Amino acid sequence: MRTNFTEKVHDFLTKLRRLFALTLGLMFLSLTSFAQDLDISGKVTSVEGEALPGVNIMIKGTTTGAITDIDGNYTMNIPDGSSLIFSYVGYKTQEILVGNQSIIDVSLEADISSLDEVIVVGYGTVKKKDLTGAVGQIDASQIAHQSPNSITDVLRANVPGLNVGFNNSPKGVSQMEIRGKTTLNAGAQPLIVLDGTIFNGDLSDINPQDIDKVDVMKDASSAAIYGSRGSNGVILITTKRGTSEKPTIGLSTMFGFATKAFDNPPYDPQGYADWRTDVFNSINYGVDDKPGYFNRPNELPDGVSLEDWLAYDGATGDPTTAWLNRIGFQDVEIGNYLANKSVDWYDKIFQTGFRSDVNLSLSGQKSGLKYYWSIGHTSNEGIIVGDKFETIRTRLNLDAKVTDWLNVGVNTQFAVRDEGSVPAEWNMYYQDSPWGSELSDDETTLRYSPQDDSGAGARHPFLRRTYTDRDRKFNTLNARMYAQVSLPLGFSYEFAFTNRYEWNYYFNHQSSVSPEWATGTAFRENSQVQEWQIENILKWDKTFGDHTFNATFLAYAEKYQGRFLHSRNSLFSPNDKLGFYNLSLGTAPVLSGDPDGDEGFRGDQTSTGDALMARINYSFRSKYLFSASVRRDGYSAFGPENKRATFPSISGAWVISDEGFYGINAIDFLKVRASWGENGNRNIGRYAYLSTLTANKNLIIQNGSVTPVATLDPATMENAELKWERTKAINFGLDFSIKEGIVEGSLDIYNMITNDLLVSRALPDVTGYTNVLSNLGEIQNNGFELAVKSRNITNTNFAWSSIVNFSLNRNKINSLYGDLDENGEELDDVTNQWFIGHAIDELWGQRVLGIWQSDQAEQADRYGVVPGDFQILDKNDDGVFTQDDNEFLGFAKPRFRWTFVNNFNFWQHFDLSVELYSMWGMNRAFNEAKNRSGFIDRTNSIMTPYWTAENPSNEWARLFSSEGSASYNVYRENSFIRLQNVTLSYTIPIAALEKIKIQSLRIYGNIRNAAVWAPDWEIWDPEASEIDGISGTGPTPRYFTLGLNLTL
Amino acid sequence: MKKNIITKYKTLLTALFVFAAIAGCKEEFLDPEPLSFYTPDNALNDADGMYALLSGAHRRLRAEWYGDGAPIITENIFSEVAVEGTTDKSGPAQDLNLLITPDANLNSADRNRIGWFWNEFYENIKLANTVVTRLDNAEYESEEERNAVLGTAFFHRAYAYYRLTQQFGDVPLLLEELTTPKLDFVSTARLTILDKMKDDLEYAAQWVPAEVAVGEVSKGAVNHLLAKVNLARADFDGAIAAANAVINGPYALMTERFGVDKDDPSKNVIWDLHRPENKSFNTEGILMSVSRLEFDGNGSATSTSAMRQAVPLWWRFINTPDGFNGMSDNPNAEIPHVLAYGRGIGRNRGVPYSTIDIWKDDDNDLRHAPGNWVDMEDITYNAPSLKDNGSTYYDKPLELKNASGVVLCSDTIRNWYGWPQYKLFIPDPTASKPSGGHSDWYIFRLAETYLLRAEAYFWKAELGSAADDINMVRSRAQAANVVAGDVNIDLILDERARELYYEEPRNTELTRIAFIFAMTGKAAYNGKTYSMNDFHQNNFWYDRIMETTNFYNKGVFTIHGDEYTMSPYHALYPVPASSINGNTQGVINQNLGYPGSENNIPPATTLPEGS
Repeated sequence: MRTNFTEKVHDFLTKLRRLFALTLGLMFLSLTSFAQDLDISGKVTSVEGEALPGVNIMIKGTTTGAITDIDGNYTMNIPDGSSLIFSYVGYKTQEILVGNQSIIDVSLEADISSLDEVIVVGYGTVKKKDLTGAVGQIDASQIAHQSPNSITDVLRANVPGLNVGFNNSPKGVSQMEIRGKTTLNAGAQPLIVLDGTIFNGDLSDINPQDIDKVDVMKDASSAAIYGSRGSNGVILITTKRGTSEKPTIGLSTMFGFATKAFDNPPYDPQGYADWRTDVFNSINYGVDDKPGYFNRPNELPDGVSLEDWLAYDGATGDPTTAWLNRIGFQDVEIGNYLANKSVDWYDKIFQTGFRSDVNLSLSGQKSGLKYYWSIGHTSNEGIIVGDKFETIRTRLNLDAKVTDWLNVGVNTQFAVRDEGSVPAEWNMYYQDSPWGSELSDDETTLRYSPQDDSGAGARHPFLRRTYTDRDRKFNTLNARMYAQVSLPLGFSYEFAFTNRYEWNYYFNHQSSVSPEWATGTAFRENSQVQEWQIENILKWDKTFGDHTFNATFLAYAEKYQGRFLHSRNSLFSPNDKLGFYNLSLGTAPVLSGDPDGDEGFRGDQTSTGDALMARINYSFRSKYLFSASVRRDGYSAFGPENKRATFPSISGAWVISDEGFYGINAIDFLKVRASWGENGNRNIGRYAYLSTLTANKNLIIQNGSVTPVATLDPATMENAELKWERTKAINFGLDFSIKEGIVEGSLDIYNMITNDLLVSRALPDVTGYTNVLSNLGEIQNNGFELAVKSRNITNTNFAWSSIVNFSLNRNKINSLYGDLDENGEELDDVTNQWFIGHAIDELWGQRVLGIWQSDQAEQADRYGVVPGDFQILDKNDDGVFTQDDNEFLGFAKPRFRWTFVNNFNFWQHFDLSVELYSMWGMNRAFNEAKNRSGFIDRTNSIMTPYWTAENPSNEWARLFSSEGSASYNVYRENSFIRLQNVTLSYTIPIAALEKIKIQSLRIYGNIRNAAVWAPDWEIWDPEASEIDGISGTGPTPRYFTLGLNLTL
Repeated sequence: MKKNIITKYKTLLTALFVFAAIAGCKEEFLDPEPLSFYTPDNALNDADGMYALLSGAHRRLRAEWYGDGAPIITENIFSEVAVEGTTDKSGPAQDLNLLITPDANLNSADRNRIGWFWNEFYENIKLANTVVTRLDNAEYESEEERNAVLGTAFFHRAYAYYRLTQQFGDVPLLLEELTTPKLDFVSTARLTILDKMKDDLEYAAQWVPAEVAVGEVSKGAVNHLLAKVNLARADFDGAIAAANAVINGPYALMTERFGVDKDDPSKNVIWDLHRPENKSFNTEGILMSVSRLEFDGNGSATSTSAMRQAVPLWWRFINTPDGFNGMSDNPNAEIPHVLAYGRGIGRNRGVPYSTIDIWKDDDNDLRHAPGNWVDMEDITYNAPSLKDNGSTYYDKPLELKNASGVVLCSDTIRNWYGWPQYKLFIPDPTASKPSGGHSDWYIFRLAETYLLRAEAYFWKAELGSAADDINMVRSRAQAANVVAGDVNIDLILDERARELYYEEPRNTELTRIAFIFAMTGKAAYNGKTYSMNDFHQNNFWYDRIMETTNFYNKGVFTIHGDEYTMSPYHALYPVPASSINGNTQGVINQNLGYPGSENNIPPATTLPEGS
């Protein structure tokens, strides 16, 4: 049956594709001109009398139009009885009935209110003032000159409630989360919708320069349109379209540099030797009966002669050599120390990365054909030597009005990404000895370990970079083709087919030349993804007097197919010089998957989904607004009886300021909104409900030869009941505008309750399973968001506007598995550290009280530690540390966040933008304070303070401190304020450009991640930890960019 | 115009048709298609599928002897043969009183592998129970095949429970596959479990074939395990009967030169017996792990890492008597010791008991002969810098002290002890500084069967027969025979340490013996008698270690300042707290002496319902 249906769908699709091709052909034939009857001309100016170039003039009801020239003049030929629509960004649109005038001069009124902006709401658009849900919008083209590295840079700090993580890689795509975390184990990433269709590809394949607008749906009723996956919110990205009659060529180019935003150097060569002396003194605490044993020979304690000191271990000869030997210097280090040959690894590993970005676009519209084509090349180097990301992206958007009832179009993007860089291992800078050697004794090969101590983790930072040959590319094509048909009685129908293809390869060879790998290993990995989506959208738009109706119906289906192959070989004969180009030369082949490898086994996968949706909007004089929707979704990963679920929503708004009784003059627009809705989450494995048997192999010897035999291991318990996770959300909002948009804003409060959580319920490990995926429990999120825009000063030669966003979210686990204790209280899941009545991100563990000081040696001894070690709260005073000593220790996520953006305009042509954002009140593990990471008796270290009897501290432990029986994290508050962006731009006056036929030209310079203030955080970036658990500690970059935007 | 309207309606009809087509999606459209993995439905319906589960169990149990911080080390340091020797940090299991708690990290190379045993054995119980429960859903060629599958499942389940009941005492008993979450487990009494395992193994011994491929479970392996289970039940006749079945089977001790180094006159049969290439091709192995570099990622276990784990850290902190750093682990050095001994880190630090004391009485024992055994004085100073420094000690044997008695090695715990090179030396061609490469390994070996039978005879006071069995093992190693009057548990434990070091799970076997003393009340050679009533305070396991150790409770500190301590209750490991805490609707008992045991309830003494 399945095959039968699939065949039908394919058959149908084939037919549709043919139809589509035909339609496209027809479209080009039908680019004929209209009959025109009247020549008119005129000039468009602002109210102040300034000529406006580039104003769009359309004949109402057609796609024919013109634009004004540099002096604001236009001429056109129009049919008799036409109306003209004059529109220009930043000005109110005007409609003029031509009659029999032949000269029409128009003055346009500046529009400082954003209420008429069009918001994309999923399968449709509405004006901002008609919105009933909580939606935030970003006009990406307005911040294109802030040199965004990726779509996530566009989004960061621009919408309250949308939290964007920080990513320090040259690729720069971060994790995102809308409002609070509504799930325990399922994915919490928002759904991305690109030009109307769900986008499951890599965000870096979307060129930020192609983005026109981004709309962020935060409440349930808005997101319910995408019910299946809307519970984490929805981000709708709209790319650019052709607008002007005249073909427009846009060139945007920028180049810049990435540098370290923080400086945390290691010990310098002499400092390293002194510090190491302290390390050895600290390690040998309490067993030292040889005073000054580890001291520099010229710094011996009183009463110890050099002879006595040497005799401690029978040393003879050079005292410096004896000392260095005692503090664990390897022979190579001693040799270099005596020869005074040191290496500055910090300087070698970090670089000033060069970045460049060139984008070219061609757009316009002609006789019903709107076109936008772009191509761009981005090359970003990171701050670590060898860290690089490169991509070429191209986009073609076409929309053709074939007849007055048929529109066809295509949105296509193709991208090639190179992610094959092998960066230096940055964390070697504090592990490699400054007295190490760079080369092996053969003076050509890199030294495996500069200090000959690879066992301590100290490798040459360029070793893997030098001896790895890697080719890793991603080719992705995402295309949406659509046809829109106008039907009678206000109906219209749209059919869209979206295809996403990925062809990726990852070839890697670790050369046997490397002293690290005695044998060469090579692998080839190929993966392909093909995913299709079909949308059928039927719309009905009708106005009866003051009553406006708008209905949308959707039928949808999707299929994902992923194919994956990994082949590996090693022990090459006669040698591995052909690397991954000829795997067959190895003698230990592994085919199809890599069960023991880092990547894990990734097999082929398929999943399917479908949906039906209906929505109705009703508006009475744009004053009373009402919207309701219902969506039924199906997904193949759920249990047989629970594949489908229904998600309803309802919302309404009331524009109070339109009422007769409304009398607040200062607030000229005031709207209240309320919404309720349910959304689902399906971000789980594609085969989540099934019991999967992990296949592997074991060896036996049969008839004298070694033979692999199959092994199977039930990895997961089946759960045929598995169903959708559901979030019910309620949102109250208020939109206001004061003095025609001088101050504008919105306020939202919400409550979200998630039930049937997709949770990996912990099982007692005696079952042989650690957990089972179940639908259990309840989580609640409450929050508050405020967004205010204001125009503080608007003089001709100085203007200042600002945007303030504020948000906070409170999260709480209401229920887990429903298991009760003897008192009838629900039990926590201690294994996963989930506690009823507490937030998911609440930290729980043993509390650090401070450092045991010298006079507390006796108390410390009870816990098997000594002064200089951390003192941990022993709640029940039983002398040992168990779970009974744990306490709640604060929160891992910010208690609140704010953004403050200021835009200044000087003498009309200079713009300065200053953007700050802040997260406050969260904690992060700061185990650097333990002074015991790795093997500090064998490696270097980042310079940090440490406790000694002479220089006691209550925050930093002694070197190589002990923990006794405790296991704990030292938490520090990592609240911060970041000066995220400072941009200064200059727009060349039009008069100066006229002669060289340039429409507009803007040059700018900007600094991203300009500064951070974090009062309690000391090493690297306070925010380096990603939002959804992907940790990214370490150095973060600061970018300096110069750029130019040119329009021809 | 008219035509246009018709076209419009046609399109509307088409639109509605498409709508209907999509809206009428068949249920089958959403059926999942498992492509690259098996589900019980498509894999567990014949003997091959069942054996694949059991091969999975074999794969897990072999992992005890492989990798960094291999679990066998935890078995050794909780006994009298070794201590944790990574002395430069806190965390390794040295101060057991402080660190061995239910809440501590119990599964880490740097700490201990107690939790590994708990997890992996219960994983194997799950695998065996899946076979037991689904047995008759599958089709077999014959009744014999079905019964052999069941017998093999019984073996793996019994292996896991034999180990768990010696390591942890009373533990939850699961005899069937779980298909729904269960959180109300209770502990079952050790003997109740062992009695059930004995019944199962007796069934298995009837059906599991005697001749199987190397790396599979044979009838011999079943009987070897049955001998251990019967000893643990203090059923000595049963143990003898089971051991007889092995010894009279297709096995024999290797007494003649064989295998890869057969023609090297400097070697001997003991060396041959433990060469990686030879282990699976002799008549002594009963239960084997097969592991080969050329099958890495394709069925092989990871490398053994045996040299890294159990050879001392000889390449650092050892000075020459004239005061220079003496050692180097450079594989390109003129004297590349690292290739011969590996880059040891001394994690599994052999103690004087196992490296000196048990060898004192016999100079002829091949197991301690030069070449097979390496003491620190057998190796030479090799640091290339010595030649530059003009030291006269280059390539001279190591000395512990200089003329004035100053110790030249800064950490004698980690850097200075002898080791059985014939067992630990595993070539490691893929590492520039070898850790110990891939190799087959003995899990059960006939030499142990003889020692198990000797022990059973001893408990029955048939000392002559016991001496005969011990002498089978000793004479192969060219050691002098013992006589009936010499035989006691001290001797048997010594012989096990000589023959089975880094092979037997020493803690498991020592605790088993401690349980026998406590169950039978027989007087031990140390003059004491023991009882089950106060096992956690007074047991033979602890007394034996205290009698032989130079480390635990002797005031010995590591250079990092951590003291070696131990208590009688450490005879049993702590049950990991996560397991007790996750079992919210029942009580899994904690062993007495550890925090949490105050919540214990009496263990079940009957089999779970439905079994």
